[in-house]
Amino acid sequence: MTSVNRETPSLFLRNATGLVKGWSGFDAFGYSFMSVNLVTLGMFYSLAVFAFVPKGSVLSALLLSGVVMTFLCVTYAGLIAVMPRAGGDYVWQTRILDGVPGALLGAIVGFFTLYLAAQAFGMSGGVALVAGLLGIVGGAALGWKRGGIGFVLSATGWWFILALWAPIYGFILKIEVVQPLVALLGWTDGSTFFASNNGTFAISLFTIVIASGAVALGMAGYARVQRWCIWIGLAVLAVMFVLMLISTQDTFHAAFDKASQSLFGVPGAYDATIANAVANDGFAPGGSPLDFGLNGDTFLLLPLMMFWILYPNWGATLYGEVRGAGDFKKVLRGMLGGLWVTIGLAVVFVLLAAKAFGWDFFNATNDNFINNAYGYVTAAPTLPIWGYPPLLVSFLIDSRFVQIVIVVLFGAWFVGWAGTLWLSSTRMIFAAAFDRVLPEAAARVSDRGVPWIALLLIMVPGVILSWLYAYQAGFSALTLDASLVIAVTFFGTSFAATILPWWKPDLYNKSPIARYKLAGLPMISIAGAITTIFLGWVVYEWLSNSLYGIGTGNTQSIEFLAVVYGLGALVWVVARVYRRTQGIDLDAIHAEIPAE
Amino acid sequence: MRIFYATDVHGSDICWRKFLNAGAFHKADVLIMGGDMTGKAMVPIVANGSSWELTLQDQKLTLTTEAEVVAMEKRISDRGYYPIRLTREEVNAWAADPSLVDVRFKAEIVRGVERWMAIADEKLRGSQIRCIVSPANDDMFEIDEIIERATIPVLGEAVAIDLDGLTMISTGWTNPTPWNTFRELPEDQLRVKIDELVKAAPDPHRAIFNFHVPPYGSNLDNAPKLDAAMNYVSGGQALIPVGSHAVRDAILHYGPLLSLHGHIHEGRGAVKLGRTLAVNPGSTYEDGVLQAAIVDLDTKKGSVKRYLLING
Repeated sequence: MTSVNRETPSLFLRNATGLVKGWSGFDAFGYSFMSVNLVTLGMFYSLAVFAFVPKGSVLSALLLSGVVMTFLCVTYAGLIAVMPRAGGDYVWQTRILDGVPGALLGAIVGFFTLYLAAQAFGMSGGVALVAGLLGIVGGAALGWKRGGIGFVLSATGWWFILALWAPIYGFILKIEVVQPLVALLGWTDGSTFFASNNGTFAISLFTIVIASGAVALGMAGYARVQRWCIWIGLAVLAVMFVLMLISTQDTFHAAFDKASQSLFGVPGAYDATIANAVANDGFAPGGSPLDFGLNGDTFLLLPLMMFWILYPNWGATLYGEVRGAGDFKKVLRGMLGGLWVTIGLAVVFVLLAAKAFGWDFFNATNDNFINNAYGYVTAAPTLPIWGYPPLLVSFLIDSRFVQIVIVVLFGAWFVGWAGTLWLSSTRMIFAAAFDRVLPEAAARVSDRGVPWIALLLIMVPGVILSWLYAYQAGFSALTLDASLVIAVTFFGTSFAATILPWWKPDLYNKSPIARYKLAGLPMISIAGAITTIFLGWVVYEWLSNSLYGIGTGNTQSIEFLAVVYGLGALVWVVARVYRRTQGIDLDAIHAEIPAE
Repeated sequence: MRIFYATDVHGSDICWRKFLNAGAFHKADVLIMGGDMTGKAMVPIVANGSSWELTLQDQKLTLTTEAEVVAMEKRISDRGYYPIRLTREEVNAWAADPSLVDVRFKAEIVRGVERWMAIADEKLRGSQIRCIVSPANDDMFEIDEIIERATIPVLGEAVAIDLDGLTMISTGWTNPTPWNTFRELPEDQLRVKIDELVKAAPDPHRAIFNFHVPPYGSNLDNAPKLDAAMNYVSGGQALIPVGSHAVRDAILHYGPLLSLHGHIHEGRGAVKLGRTLAVNPGSTYEDGVLQAAIVDLDTKKGSVKRYLLING
């Protein structure tokens, strides 16, 4: 009946349901590593936009990003240790945030949402200010009640915004897998189709099918696929790095020109790409990734890095019992491993890109493509498809077959990552349905265990936003909004973690991390405060600095964000009112029953 | 009629006390404890001269006063573990001979349930709130008679209980688990047991099933997949249904108005199976948070008026 932990006879267990040995460090690492995905998120965006901040120090920005995300990891690993089976941001925020702190957070979100929305919709400064004040009142009222602001921030960050990620995932699939393969296969009609809006929309729909299929079929099989993808992805990345290391810029220059002529009929493409970027994109050659410093421009790179490196905590929903501080350390090590291995690989990649491609060419080809793809300029790029780094490296081997194999194998980075797109969304929808905020039908599953209605609740907006992404001019430029909304959710959770030891001392003091202090202050509060301040600054930059293409400089972006947060608040308020007519008091969900 | 249903508190003192207070707090008429009420672990507090040492959640702690030890015992009990004072020699002997641990476990569990029943009798005395306690697969059989001896709590296992014209039938037996616990049956035998129990309900449509194990494939039974060594497969991301086919088939066959479940702590939720509302409030007993379901029933119509899953 019993089992004894012989190494440390500090706990005697008996056989009982649910007792398991817990997480392996590799699992924690795997989640983190694939979430801050070097290829699908890093190469696709953050490592491709250095030209937009030419005076920023690339290496400093990469290392600084790792440092601040370390605090995010400490914050989330701490929350996992305090509430291990709590289900992530939704339950952490709904359990911790209420009263004055909840109202404060609600007021901040409410003010910015309504103030900026009023401006975006063309209202005068005075009217916008009144709208902002209404936002403060409404947000504070919503945050005062436990569950209010927690629902809004979690629903927006884990559900609504994932609909925007669907076309972004689709776009990544298009430019990293489909277009390179179509080009390598010489499929002319395919090249034309996938370069069109219809092609973009079709690939987004395909991505939606993959993401929905993974949820519908269950994660057990997909999780095995993920593990294989990590190994395949790492192996082919190693091959890429070796090729970059042993080649010279001259070799690459010749190989690129040859391939560009052969695939796209573009002569002298290497030099033409740089010239095109200089002429049309305001590109300034002459930088170096080795410039090391902490000037103001370097800090401007950080919000761009967040598109990719913000998610080492993505696997934050854990299970199991009889946990201790050991689990905190294990989860933290896994998250930090995924984060810092990725940062390290990114540093190596950047240095090798400068060595093999030439820093000017690498930035010019990205600049050339991104400006056109997001509609910042109308001039056509030199090549009709993106200079996807694995594709560029594959040109070093003069074999079409090997080039195809390299691109296909790099697809493992996408396959092992994209299937989880809507897993968190459906769980969030379930949680909201169980809390009666959504109709109970939202949590219904078929006889085969498929949550059709939850899937529809994310698929339908996913299809709508995919359509907008493909056909609505300028909508694809809202890419960073996808990270902004998640960052706001993390901001709320980090704020909750910061106040936890004082606001919910009973919960905190019983946790295994209560002993971790620095200068007498709880470690989770220090890490949470740093993360909160940093994310607050990042969100402010995104909203206020036109460099990022979203926020106040982009009316469409603010309108989109207003709809997202307005919808979150509306769902919560309507649910409360409607449930009250049914005799259901949603306040009772989180009401603490006295123990004595 | 309002019922307050919680389950899987696994020895957590604070959750038990909240459960008993929930009747007055949430204006419930009936409290139902769905089973797995006993703890899974003992934490030795080891004498070392004039002080006491223990390790809790990987923290090595030294206690120097009796007041500190008592406070620590409460903290341990609130998490659902049994605090036990031992000498260093006893700890070493236990580590070498698991049968010694068995004996003490049984004693602690029995003592714990006796104490809980006494608290229930005291807290609920004089109120009109009924309290039904139904042990489940993690609960040894010895606790059934302790519950039977209690004044106010009523043993639910295998007994048909009338609730204002509705009939509640309960069993804590489950389909087999990887842990080989006390009350497990193969699916076919579990179905036979359920069929026998349902015979006591005059009208199955006006019955409440209080079956610990949730129905298979209902989303109330999703648990992380484990390998043979009890490690998570794919870090717990791979969820699989582990509920009972017998329970699912019985619900769909008999169509009770309500079906109450637990067992899978991560399986919090409510679903409709045919005409039946099936509920699993889940459990986070280690946090000291009582998860529960509040269900309002229309006893005349024999229907569920409304329900709410709460974290109290």
